[in-house]
Formats: sequence, C-alpha cells, structure tokens
Amino acid sequence: MDELLIIKNLKTYFYTDEGVVKAVDDVSLRINRGQTLCIVGESGCGKSITAMSILRLIPDPPGKIEGGEIIFEGKDLLKLSDDEVREIRGNKISMIFQEPMTSLNPVFTIGNQIIEAIMLHQKLDKKEATKKSVEALKLVGIPRAEEIINAYPHELSGGMRQRAMIAMAMVCNPTLLIADEPTTALDVTIQAQILDLMRKLKEETKTSIMLITHDLGVVAEMAEYVTVMYAGKVVEEADVIELFKNPKHPYTLGLLESKPQIHIDKEKLYSIPGQVPNPFNLPKGCYFFPRCERAMEICKEVMPTLKEVGNGHKVACHLYGGDNNE
Amino acid sequence: MQTVRSVEAKIREEKILGPWQLAWIRLKRNKLAMLGLYILIFMVLLSVFGPMISPYNMETLDLSNISAPPSLSHPLGTDEVGRDVLTRVMYAGRISLSVGIVAVLISVLIGSIVGAISGYYGGIIDAVLMRIVDIFMCFPFLPLLLMVAAVMSDYKIHPNYRIYVVMFIIGILSWPGLSRIIRGQILSLREQEFIQAAEALGLRDRRKIFRHLLPNTFSSIIVSATLEVAGAILTESALSYLGLGVTPPTPSWGNMVNAVTDAYVFQFYPWRWVPPGICIFITVMAINLLGDGLRDALDPKLKH
Amino acid sequence: MRQYITRRLLEMIPVLIGISILIFVIFQLAPGDAVSAIVDPKTSAETKAKLREQLHLNEPILVQYKYWVMDILKGQWGESFYYKQPVSRVINSFIWNSFYLSLASFLLSAILSIPIGVLSATKQYSKFDYIFTIFALIGISMPSFFFGLLLIKWFAVDLKLFPVSGMTNPGSTATGFALFKEVMHHMALPLIVLTLGSLAGLMRYTRSSMLEVIRQDYIRTARAKGLREKVVIYKHALRNALIPVVTIFGMSLPGLFSGAIITEQIFNWPGIGPIELQAVNTRDYPLLMGINMLLALLTLLGNLIADVTYALVDPRIRLK
Repeated sequence: MDELLIIKNLKTYFYTDEGVVKAVDDVSLRINRGQTLCIVGESGCGKSITAMSILRLIPDPPGKIEGGEIIFEGKDLLKLSDDEVREIRGNKISMIFQEPMTSLNPVFTIGNQIIEAIMLHQKLDKKEATKKSVEALKLVGIPRAEEIINAYPHELSGGMRQRAMIAMAMVCNPTLLIADEPTTALDVTIQAQILDLMRKLKEETKTSIMLITHDLGVVAEMAEYVTVMYAGKVVEEADVIELFKNPKHPYTLGLLESKPQIHIDKEKLYSIPGQVPNPFNLPKGCYFFPRCERAMEICKEVMPTLKEVGNGHKVACHLYGGDNNE
Repeated sequence: MQTVRSVEAKIREEKILGPWQLAWIRLKRNKLAMLGLYILIFMVLLSVFGPMISPYNMETLDLSNISAPPSLSHPLGTDEVGRDVLTRVMYAGRISLSVGIVAVLISVLIGSIVGAISGYYGGIIDAVLMRIVDIFMCFPFLPLLLMVAAVMSDYKIHPNYRIYVVMFIIGILSWPGLSRIIRGQILSLREQEFIQAAEALGLRDRRKIFRHLLPNTFSSIIVSATLEVAGAILTESALSYLGLGVTPPTPSWGNMVNAVTDAYVFQFYPWRWVPPGICIFITVMAINLLGDGLRDALDPKLKH
Repeated sequence: MRQYITRRLLEMIPVLIGISILIFVIFQLAPGDAVSAIVDPKTSAETKAKLREQLHLNEPILVQYKYWVMDILKGQWGESFYYKQPVSRVINSFIWNSFYLSLASFLLSAILSIPIGVLSATKQYSKFDYIFTIFALIGISMPSFFFGLLLIKWFAVDLKLFPVSGMTNPGSTATGFALFKEVMHHMALPLIVLTLGSLAGLMRYTRSSMLEVIRQDYIRTARAKGLREKVVIYKHALRNALIPVVTIFGMSLPGLFSGAIITEQIFNWPGIGPIELQAVNTRDYPLLMGINMLLALLTLLGNLIADVTYALVDPRIRLK
C-alpha cells in the first residue's frame, strides 16, 4: 500500500512543575494516501498532541518531542530544519482546529488570512491569490464569497468560520489534512454539514485525512481506519468495519457501549468506571487496569504491547494472545 | 491491589485541597513572591518591635550630638537635634505601613460595597453609581489629593491626628478602581448557576450579595488590595514629602526625606534622607512582588 | 463614528456637572472665605463687605455655584490670588513647559516599552525577560521624588554633569538651537525620572498583553499555516497585543498637560506642577479650581480618545 505518513515510536513529553507528563508515549501509526484515519480517545489521551507533533507545533517549553520518527513522503519531519518544516506546514500538511471561534485571528479579514497562506506557499501575486481564495471559499460552500472575503471572523457564524478554516487549510491542496475535533464546538446540524463537506473534499482532492475525535459517531461516518488511544498509548487499531464489528480492547468496548444507540433499548447508558489516570501517577502495568472490568493479575504488573490478532487488527491487551512470553 | 488503593487515595487527597491551599502551594513555589513576603515580614517586625528594642526614644533630643554621621551607637547617625535616625526610621515605618493598610481597608470597604451593589442591582442604581465612579476617575489622582489635602490643612488639625486624615483621604479617593473590578466580576458571577440557584431559593438580596457573590470575588479583592497598599504607601510618602501628609514631629518615611529642603543636609548628611527613601522603595517593591505572586497564584487569568 | 463621538460628548455633560460640583464642594469645605484670602488683614470691614458682595459670597450656596459655573462657561476662570492675573493666563504660561517634558517622556517610553515588552513575552523566562522584569519592578516601586533626589545628588551635585534644576540657565539669553540644547540638558534628569515610571508600567502591560495573545488559538493557526515566526509574532500577535496598549496611550494623552507634579517640583521645572503646589500652599483657590477643572476635562477627553482608538484598532468593536 502507498503510505503517506508513518509515525514510529513517537514520544512527546511535557516537563511541568509537577513532573513529566508522557503525553504521547511510544505511539506508532500510519496513514495511506487517500485514506481517512480516525484517532479516538477521551480528552487528555494524547491524540491532539500526536497531531501537533506531526507539524512540530508543540510549545517548547514545556513540551518536547523526545524520540521517534515521523516519516512523511519518505522524509523524517523530526530531522528537518525549522524552515523546511515551515515549507510543509499549511502547504503539504495543513491543520484545522476545534474552536473556529478562536482559531481565526480577530483583527484580520477572512480573505487576508487565506491570501496570506496562498502567497506564502504558491508564490502568487495578490490579485491571483485573492481570486484563488474566493474560489476556495466557494468550494467550501460559503455563499457570497466575494463579500465574505472582506468580513472579519466575528461577523461569521461558527459553522461559517469552520468552513473558512477548512478553505484556508485546503487552499494549497495539501496531501494530508489534520482535523483536530473539527466539529466538537458546533451545533449538531452544522456538524453533519462540516463532515459532509470534508468527505466531499476528500473525494475530489484525494487528500488523506487524519481526524481526531472522541465521538464514535463521527468515526463511523468518516473513518476507514481507526486508532484508539488511551493515556498516551495506542491500545487498539483496526479497519473501521472490523473495529465496530469486533472490538477487542476493554476500553474500546467501553467506549462503544457508552455510545447511545437508537435501536437498542437500554435501561441506563453505560459509562466506563473511574477516570482517566493521573498523568503524574500512572499505574505500573496496563494503564487501563484500574478501570478495567476484566483485569487479571498480570495486568497489574506488565504493560501489554500492541499485537496483531488477525485481519490487520491490533490490540494491546493481555486478554488476547500469549503476552506472557514477551 | 495495594498500589491501586494508594493511587486512589492520592487522587482523593489532591481533591480535598481547597482553592486557597492550592494558591498557597503555588505561591510558595514562586521564589520572587516569597522573597517579597519575607522582606515585608522583616519590615513589619522592624517597625513594630524595632522602636521597643532601640535604646533611644524617637523624641529624645541630644543637642551634644547633632547631625552625627553613622557610628556604632547610632547606625544611621543623628538628625539636626540629635535624635537617633534609625529609631525614627523604624517608628516612621509604623506610620507609613499603617497609613497604607488602613487607607486600603477603607478603599476596599467602599469599593467592594459599591461594586457589589452596582453589579447586583444593575439598571438605574448601576448607572448612577458608575457615573459617580467616572467622576472620581476623571481626576488625575494626585491633583485631587493635593486639593483635598490643602483644604484639610486649613482646618489646623493637630499633627498627631493628621495621620488619620491622611489615611482617610487616600482611602476615600482610591476606591473607584476597585469598585469597577468588583462590579465586573459580580456581573459575570450573577449569570452563573449557583447564584441562579440562590435566586430560586428566594434568599434575601443582602444575603446573596454578602454571602454568595462577594466571597467569590475575594481573590481579586486580595490581589488588588495588596497592590493598592504599595500604591498607598507611595502616595502617603509623596504627600508627606510635600508637607501635605503626615507632618513632623510624627515621623513618616516621606516627611523624613523632606529633610533635603535644607540644601546642606541634602549634600552632606545623606544618612538623614537616604535610609527612609530606601525603606519606601524596598517595602513597596516587596509588596509588589507579593502582589504579583498572589495574582499568579490565585487567578492566573487576572490581569492588571 | 461621528454619531458615536457626539453621543459620547453628550454623555460627558452629567459627568462634567458632577466634577464641577465635587470641586466646588471641596472648596466650600475650606474654612474662611475667599475675601480673607485676597486682602491683607488690615483692610477695613467695609471694603471686605463690598468685595463679598462683588464675589456673591453672601448669596446661598446654590446661587454661588451657579455664578461659578456661568463664569467657567464664559471662559472666565477667575483671577489667581497669588499672581493677580486671570487663571487662564497663568495656566497658559506654564502648561506648555509641562507639555514638552511629558511629551518627551511619553515618546521615549512608548518607543522603548513596546519592543521590550514584546521581546520579554516571546522570550519568557529568558535572561532578557528576567532583567527587564526586575527593572520594571524597580520602576513601579521607586518613589519618584526619592529617585529624583538621588539623581540630582549624584549627577548634578557630585558629578556636575547636569544642572540641578530649572529649564534654562539663570539669565540665559540663548535662542534657537543653543536654547534647545540648553533645555535638553536641563530636561535629561527629570526625563529619566518621569520615563522610568511610565516605561515600567507600559512594559509590564505590553508584556502581559503579549503573553496573553501568544497563547491564543489563532497564533497556533498562524504557525500551522507555515508562517515565519517573525510574521507570527510581529503581524498576528503584536497586532492583537497592541489593542489594549494603544488604549492606554490614548488615555495618557491628557496627562501630557497635567504634568508630573512631583518630578517637576523636585527639578523645579517651570511647569504646571510647581504652580499647583504653590497654589496649594498659598491657598490660591481660583487657580487650584481652574487647574483641576482643566485636568478633569482633559481626562474625559482622554477617555474618549482611548475609546475611539480602541474602535479604530479592533474590528470587533462597532461604534454605534
């Protein structure tokens, strides 16, 4: 298969007053060309940090990428110079964020902010760039694009702003779009529209998407491949259909069970017991062990590793496969 | 299971820590703020107990030993009538610190009540009170203060009571800024759920304001008040330096620096005016350090 | 915009009335009346009574207030007891000296505070930041009169590098560039004192505003677009961070006229400061009232300027 991005053993740590937080701890994943990968997990599980690490946007201090490789189109992004990474940002890899309200600069017009990206990466003059940004706004379904280009962010609704963010991200035809919870802050109806738009753009441009979400509904709708993260680690990954049909890790099972479903009549909505572990005080064995209903003796002591269990399905849990001989 | 339990116990322990304890922990970690706190404690102890320990009385004249330079018996020398400068500086510290603190207490009292009433009731009451605040804030602080001080001086108040007048006028002229801060916070607090709950319980206004709303603004009151003490000490010293604040024979740091009006003292007897000046500077800086630290510790979002 | 300014000017009227009442009340609180202040004590009771009549001092207090306000509106700010001249003329002859000194300090602190504040914020916790944080702390904690005295002692009295006081040499007849040089030489020390305070405040303000801004999501967006760090900081961040700073500048414009009372007094700079202090000491109430009325007016104007500049630099604010 044609791999666009391979992350190998990525480690991103934060050095705080209270201690070291291993926000991303030995994470490996890959995205093929034209594929949509969803990273799922509760907030604080390291999914956003993984995404920010790809573009080297981790604020340093306190954050630092301590190890691993991020190979994009054959080059290790972690080995590039700052200038070379900047060439890639917003050009080959672009990113949209959770909060469309605060992610656009309030003092510049929408057009100004899109044109800036075009002029930077495509060496077009201002007139052409303006034309192109109007096209981009039209492409994401913004009406009256010629007027909106002169509008300030506060003059647009949340959905419109997120569309503008997407236009800004797509305008340089990236090969990878990283979307960090792009619909979380939006109303449900707007959410569906934005997801539709992303799917449509993906089909038209063959852009790969790395979609970060905590919402399994979004996963079911968008993903081709899914990675589940917990406390900075990948705990399970599989094809989307395989994962929904045949979830393995107790955490994934918990996530699926806690999702409300229309067809099934349940007395009470399930929720995973306990809370995300304190990052300064992680348990010795499996991080999920204190909350796991199927925990065994070994889980307390030994951290399970990610193992293939058939069908390209990988899981890090002692319940599957003889981890003991490790 | 041992480890699990201890982890859970730890998490629970962390949760028990109230916001004030957390703030204290954060403050303790801030070295500059702690430095400020220690200096401040030192200055307070020096002012309170110094004059008691000193072998000299601040008013005892010693005409055989006037304007003597610093020596072992008089570490900061003596003044034009032979009084020990160190003793007077320590005594002046009492005056300057207490003027600063009392003035701010007055200002906090008025400021938080006006701010709370204005923010809570809104409407006409708010409009009128805020216009009054506008009026006060339209005056550059010092000219207004000078004007009031001048009028007050005309009443020929006995020097021993001048200090109360100074406390009063600084306090009464510096509340508007604080009242605006409190009003803003009350306005946003009022929209929050717990106050809506209090509303639903049918609590009386006074109870809602003083029991539920104002306590939630304590952290900003404390930060503003701390920084205001620094300002009040500076104001008092300037006023006293100009001869319009605390007047001799009561010493204050400001009026001790006023000794420089004698050009000879200015040039040749620096021990008479430099130490009180340094005391003002050090004390104000310590309070500012502490105030900044408190702001960071209590509410990182608070901005000056 | 014009509509907004008109509305704001109208809103000023009640505040101005309040200010005039406050000033009037403060002076009514003063013991004795104006007549005993103007005339020497030997004047006959008859003359005094006549004067009282002229100054409407026998009328009820509200009527007196009315006369005073009418006079102010007519531009008659009364006559200074001390200078025996119209208050407006006294103010006019000193206010410009204050203006020169304050303007120089304003420009200097504006030019220095922004780059220092920005660098401190972008290099938070660096040595640079540390040094200027301490410097700013010293600046806001130093009593200006004490700092001024120290400077005079060291640089004027001991080292004789600068003149001790005044704006020109006594009996100076210099003109043109020579005069300018002479004034600059006199201005140096008061300028340092004045600038230390305002620079420290503005620096801290710029720094915290910038720190606030560089944490914002849109700065991350700007970085994710691939912009150079310089563009991110000096275009995207600074443009936002300056909004509150510019407002402060707007507000401090009237301060250019109100002078720096204490600094001017210490250096005997012939501005409005020493005049005001003198008026306080000689109980020259008409002059005091005039100065304070003018300062309050200027402050109101400054608030308006601040609000207008705010609206000009922040597209989110729409003036209605």
